[in-house]
Amino acid sequence: MKMIRAFIRPEKEQEVVLALEGAGFPSLTKVPVFGRGKQKGLTVGPVHYDELPKVLIMTVVNDKDMDKVMKVIQDKARTGFIGDGKIFISPVENAYTVRTGEAGL
Amino acid sequence: MKEITVIIRRDKLPETKKALDDLGYPSLTIQSVEGRGKQKGAMCAEMDTEMPDSYCTAVKLKPTPSTYALDHTLPKIALFVPKRLLTIVVPDDVVSTVVKSLIKVNQTGKAGDGKIFVSPIENAVRVRTGERNGEAIA
Repeated sequence: MKMIRAFIRPEKEQEVVLALEGAGFPSLTKVPVFGRGKQKGLTVGPVHYDELPKVLIMTVVNDKDMDKVMKVIQDKARTGFIGDGKIFISPVENAYTVRTGEAGL
Repeated sequence: MKEITVIIRRDKLPETKKALDDLGYPSLTIQSVEGRGKQKGAMCAEMDTEMPDSYCTAVKLKPTPSTYALDHTLPKIALFVPKRLLTIVVPDDVVSTVVKSLIKVNQTGKAGDGKIFVSPIENAVRVRTGERNGEAIA
């Protein structure tokens, strides 16, 4: 299993979530976060924003679904401008459902 | 070392903390998150005992051609349920004990109990002393 953490634009959140739902991955967790990237924030005229609001979408999927989920997020979160976000993948060894206590997604 | 990421109901937090204290692993990080699972964020009185039935967001209508059309013409909103996300880093040998205890405390048998994820942690550093690996979380 892999954990996918995607930092996306807040305004793209609904679009990404609904697209993932349509692709058969309805389960995810979201956290509003603030962060900055390579550009060290954003400068508009005299005003400098050091940290910009993003939404962190966290989901755990089976290995074989990883590419599909990444593609859906990329397609929907992309605007082509700076600040579209990043996707990070990390390994997950085990998952349990609390309701049943069973292992697996 | 393993990282246990567990997503639980908000009202189960005190009990979970107590259970972890009793096991001897009181260190944890708590985040307020919103999430959705197989039920796509729908909430019902059956899932959450604190919730009045009028707040139910699950679709009770049977799908008929007209509701199907309605469903696909109106812009849909993705629903989320507020949850608590705990991150606990523990040594390898106690992972199963902690997971069992977390399941025992948080299980209500209704949808929305949450998920537990176990993932590897490569290194840990205690900032105050610079200790590494196992010592850092002891």
